[in-house]
Amino acid sequence: MKFINMPNRAMQKSDKKSNPFKASFTAQHVIEAIGQRISKPLTFMEVCGTHTVSIFRSGIRSLLPEELSLVSGPGCPVCVTDQGEIDCAIDILDMPQITVATYGDMLRVPGTKSSLSERKSEGKDVRLVTSAAQALSIAENNPEREVVFLAVGFETTAPATAATVLEAREKNISNFSILSYHKQTPPVLEQLVQDPDLKIDGFILPGHVSVILGHNAYRFIAQKYKIPCAIAGFEPMDILLAIADLVFQHANGQAVLHSLYPRAVRPEGNQKALSMIDRVFTPCSARWRGLGEIPLSGYMLKEEFSSFDTLLRFQITLTSPPPPAGCRCGDVLAGHIRPLECPLFAKRCTPMTPVGPCMVSSEGSCSAYYKYNRGGESPWKKSHLATEVADD
Amino acid sequence: MSLEKVTLGHGSGGRLTQDLIQVILSVFPKKNLTSDLEDCALIWEKIGVTIDSFTVSPRDFPGGDIGELAICGSANDLAVRGVKPQFITMSVVAEEGFHIDELTRYMKSASSICQKLGIQLVAGDTKVVPKGHVEGLFITTCAVGERVTPAPLGMNLLQPSDTIIVSTSIGRHGAAIGASRFDLNPEDLKSDCAPLWPALEPLLKIDGLRCMRDCTRGGLGTVMCEWAEGRQLGVTLSEEGIPIRSSVQSVCDILGFDPLYLACEGCAAIGVDPKDADKVLNILRENPLCQEASIIGSVTEEHKGMVALQTKIGGMRVVDMPVGEMLPRIC
Ligand code: SF4
Repeated sequence: MKFINMPNRAMQKSDKKSNPFKASFTAQHVIEAIGQRISKPLTFMEVCGTHTVSIFRSGIRSLLPEELSLVSGPGCPVCVTDQGEIDCAIDILDMPQITVATYGDMLRVPGTKSSLSERKSEGKDVRLVTSAAQALSIAENNPEREVVFLAVGFETTAPATAATVLEAREKNISNFSILSYHKQTPPVLEQLVQDPDLKIDGFILPGHVSVILGHNAYRFIAQKYKIPCAIAGFEPMDILLAIADLVFQHANGQAVLHSLYPRAVRPEGNQKALSMIDRVFTPCSARWRGLGEIPLSGYMLKEEFSSFDTLLRFQITLTSPPPPAGCRCGDVLAGHIRPLECPLFAKRCTPMTPVGPCMVSSEGSCSAYYKYNRGGESPWKKSHLATEVADD
Repeated sequence: MSLEKVTLGHGSGGRLTQDLIQVILSVFPKKNLTSDLEDCALIWEKIGVTIDSFTVSPRDFPGGDIGELAICGSANDLAVRGVKPQFITMSVVAEEGFHIDELTRYMKSASSICQKLGIQLVAGDTKVVPKGHVEGLFITTCAVGERVTPAPLGMNLLQPSDTIIVSTSIGRHGAAIGASRFDLNPEDLKSDCAPLWPALEPLLKIDGLRCMRDCTRGGLGTVMCEWAEGRQLGVTLSEEGIPIRSSVQSVCDILGFDPLYLACEGCAAIGVDPKDADKVLNILRENPLCQEASIIGSVTEEHKGMVALQTKIGGMRVVDMPVGEMLPRIC
C-alpha cells in the first residue's frame, strides 16, 4: 500500500537511535500474515487507553483486514471515573482553604454541574500534578491549606499513591488526604466477559498494568472463559504482534494467555509495588462510569490510614447522579458500541464541548475516534466503520 | 459553538484558539481587517508588521529565556513572510515585587538577539500591576520590517504537488518547557528558540518558494492543518521524514504528548515547488541551526482540507488541529 511517492532523501533520519519496535520493516509481513490466517470476522478489545491512542496514531486500523475489528475497553482511568466522583471533588473544592491536586485530564471531565477546570477558572485552587508525591509537597509547602489529592488510575498509579500516604504518615503531615478513586482491572474484565451481549474474540491486555500484576491476574479470561489474551507493549509493532497472536490463536483453536511484552512484564509482576498496595489499601466495591457498581474493584485506605481518607475527614458520601441524557459512555466502555454509534458523537459531544469523559481524556476512545477520524470523516476509515454510524 | 468563557485551551494554538480569534474578529467590519490572516501582515505592499505577547513558565528554560523568546517570536513571524526584521517595539508588564536583576537579565537576552539581527528597538512601554494580577512578567513585542521578496509569500500560493520541508527537528521548545514543568530532565533537551532570518534569507531568491510559517503554538501539525484548510487542498506527511530528536520523543512518550503539536520557536515549515526542493534543503543545511532540515510531505488534490500522515508502519491517519491544552496522561 503506497500512498505517497517521496524521494528517498525524504527519509533523512534525525539523531534518533534505531529502535526495532518503532520503525519496523516487518510490519508489512505481520499484516500479511494476519490477512492469511484470519478465516472469520473477529473483534478484539484493547483494554487500555494508551493502546487505543497508539492504534489510532500509528494508523493500524487502516492496515487491518476488513474482517478484523478493534473496540476499546474500560482501560482509561479518566473515562471510568464516575460523575458522582467528580461532583464530590468539586463539592470539597468549594469548601474554604481547600486545594485539589490531580492528574491532567481529570480537570476537564464534566460533573453534574461543573468541572474542576471551570472552578479553576473561577479562582478555585486546583493544581495539576504528575505524581502523588507532588501533591504531598504542595501540602508540605502550604500548611495553611487542606490539600486533597484526587487519586485515579489502575494498578499502575495505586502503588505511588500508597507510597505517598506512607510518607505523609511518616512526616506527620496533617493537611493532606486522598480521594481514592483507584480501580482494579481484573474485576471489570470479569464483568465484561460475563456479559452475554458482548462478543469479544480476544483481549489485548494492558502492558503497564501487567508490569505490576504479572500474568496470573488475567489467566481466568483464557482458562475459564476461553477467550485468547495477549499482553502487549505500546509501540505499533507491539500491538500488531498482539493482534497477530490473537488471530493465530483462533486459527489454531487455542485460548491462552500470551505475554508479548516480556521486556517489561515479569510473570510474577512487581512484588514490591503489589505489597505497597497491600500495605495501604484494601479492596472495596467501586462505581465505574456507565458500568455501575463492581464488587471489589476499587481500593480504599485501610483503617489505620483513615485519617488520610478525604471522604471520612470531610464526612462526605459519594452520590451517583444519572449520566447526561443521551450519553452512551457506559456502552462505549463496555465495548457494546463504538463511539460513532453514540447519538451525541461529533454533534453535541465534541472535544470542545465534551458531554462524557470518553471525549475529554486524551486516551478516551471517543476523543481518539474524533481526533484521528475527524469526527468520522476520515478518508481511510474502513467501510465497516462507516456503516456503523448511527442514524439519528 | 457559542463561547461563554475563555479557558486555557483557547490559548493552545489549536482549534479553540481559532474560535477565540473568530469571536474577536467578528466585531470588526471587514474593511477594517486585513484579508490574509498570516502571522505577519503586509501593509502598503512592502511593510511587514506583527505583534505577539510572551508569557512562559518557567521564564528561564533550557536553551533560552523569555527575553530571547520575545524578540525571536516576533522577528520570526516577519522572516517567514520574506520580511527583514528591522524595528521592534516592546511592552513590559511586570508584577509588583518582580526582581530588577531578573528583568535586566531578560532584557540583555533580548538585546543580544536584536544586535545579532540588526533590529532597532524604537518604542516601548512599561506597566507595573499589583501582586497577583499577572504571574511575574508579560512581554509584548511588535516587529516591523521591509519585504525583501519581489512578491509576497503566502499559503495562497501553495499548489498541488508542492513539497513541504521543515527547517529543523520539531517540538524542541514545547518538550523543553513540558520537561521543566513536570520535573523531567532529559539530557541534551533544549528549546530550539533562535532567530530564523539568517537561515531563511538565502531562500528568498528561489522562484519556487511559495510560503513559510514558523511552527509556534500548536506546532507543525496545526500549521499543516491551517494550510490544508486555508487552501482547501490536501497535505500528506511522512512520519518517517519528520525529524524528531530522541530527547523530544522520550518526553512525549512519558507525558503522552504528540510531537506534531509541540511548539517550536526556531523551526519553519516551508512550501516549495518540487523542482526547487533540493535547492531549499541544501541552502538550509548550510546553516548550523538547520542541519536536520528535511522533506516531510507534499500538497495534494486528494483529501481536500485535510492533513494525512503516512505512519512508520505504513498506516494512514488524519492529523487534526489539537483541541484544548495538552495535558500529561495518567497511565
Ligand atoms: S460521544 Fe460523548 S456522550 Fe457519547 S459516549 Fe462518547 S463521551 Fe459519552
